[in-house]
Amino acid sequence: MTKETFLHDKHIALGAKMVDFAGWEMPVQYTSIIEEHKNVRENVGLFDVSHMGEVFVSGKDSIEFLNKIVPQDISKLNYEKAVYCQLTNKNGGLIDDLIIYKLGILEYLVICNASRIDEDLNWMVRNSKGFDVKIDNQSHNYSLLAVQGPKADALMRKLGLTTQQESFTIKPDKIAGIKVLVSRTGYTGEDGYEILVENKNSEYLWDKILEEGKDFGIKPIGLGARDTLRLEAALHLYGNDLDENTTPVEAGLSWSIPKDKKDYYNGKEIIEGQLQHGGKKKLIGLKMLDRSIARHEYEVYKDGQKIGIITSGAPSPTLGENIALAYVNNDKEICTGTIVQVMIREKLHDAEIVKRPFIQKRNRVKL
Amino acid sequence: MNTPDNILCSKSHEFLSDNGDNTFTVGLTDYAVEQLGDIVFLELPEEGAEFKKGDTFATVESVKAASEIYMPVSGKIIEVNNSAVETPEILNEDSYEKGWLVKIEPTGNIEAEQADLLEYEDYKEELE
Repeated sequence: MTKETFLHDKHIALGAKMVDFAGWEMPVQYTSIIEEHKNVRENVGLFDVSHMGEVFVSGKDSIEFLNKIVPQDISKLNYEKAVYCQLTNKNGGLIDDLIIYKLGILEYLVICNASRIDEDLNWMVRNSKGFDVKIDNQSHNYSLLAVQGPKADALMRKLGLTTQQESFTIKPDKIAGIKVLVSRTGYTGEDGYEILVENKNSEYLWDKILEEGKDFGIKPIGLGARDTLRLEAALHLYGNDLDENTTPVEAGLSWSIPKDKKDYYNGKEIIEGQLQHGGKKKLIGLKMLDRSIARHEYEVYKDGQKIGIITSGAPSPTLGENIALAYVNNDKEICTGTIVQVMIREKLHDAEIVKRPFIQKRNRVKL
Repeated sequence: MNTPDNILCSKSHEFLSDNGDNTFTVGLTDYAVEQLGDIVFLELPEEGAEFKKGDTFATVESVKAASEIYMPVSGKIIEVNNSAVETPEILNEDSYEKGWLVKIEPTGNIEAEQADLLEYEDYKEELE
């Protein structure tokens, strides 16, 4: 039995094509993935991402507890700020990737992937032994809407957003008269907001955003375009680009890991070793040199030798090229500009290693 | 898009249309292209290639995924729609007139092989 978000009826009424995603029946597209994708890059789009998990962490030992489960230093996270984190196992492998928000003194919100909520909760509870901390899964009580695109800020102002926010901040606010938590984060590479709203108000807010957004050219956006948008921005998708056998260093996430964190965290010795010497594999970006499309689990070759595997691949509607993420052997010879081959239906197709992200991201907003 | 008369459809969503000169046109049904969404890539066989009923003879890719296309009857490829290869998005507009895939000459017992194909109306009914 698949789960449904509180906005399920809205998607059906809008004519969305529904698919199963991590046990949830979700809209994959309303009209066309390419059209929806371009609308987020050019105007603004509205996403239902209520399948994602919301876990509140509070209590006297919140900081020590969170510091044990992620490589990031939560003691340095300021009030109303957010930080991109990884939940690591004892080998440094990724149980999930998360955003942690500081909501108050000793009060945090952890947003996790829908597909990983059970594993995350289990791991968090298991690791809470000896800490005075409350782990409160509120996923079933909240809907999460994302408003993303260059016109997202103007639309949010029209909806009555009062506070000015930098990227990676969260504030309680009121939009369209509804009490919400608003964060300036997203998964598209564009500026935008994510809105945490109680389930009972989510349908009203969804309609209101679409109505007020008409002047800005808003469209509802499905998971299909969400995937191509995040891929162009080279943002990882758990289950494709991240898994328990991959460390944050291998995943190209070293930038997110502080080098001077004092507290022990799960997998610290392995991750610190890899920060110095690199991991077994590394994540690269690829651009196909012909019209073929690399897909998840296709093999990557160089000089006739298998060197890696594609984790995500799709056409890029923005670039008009076919792009992919892949893990390859951690070898200095395999670097930006190197030509490799992808095995597609028993034929090798040339691809060039290119810099990530594939597009210029526009999601860093400072006040 | 207009659905041509006298087509037969397979359960894997290919259509077969009799050209009346012992050649047949093969392509994807409107239902198939609607389900696929934006079509961005098409790989068709060489002229002269021969396939048995049920063989994979082509690949279509939407933004999300690659899908195989199967021969509705055994046949030899006598013509390939190169404009569909060049601009695969025409399949989304019209998979019958403009976006057909290949023309074939049957190489098997065409009567017997058509037995499990459905008339368009029955095919549509089956989908509901």
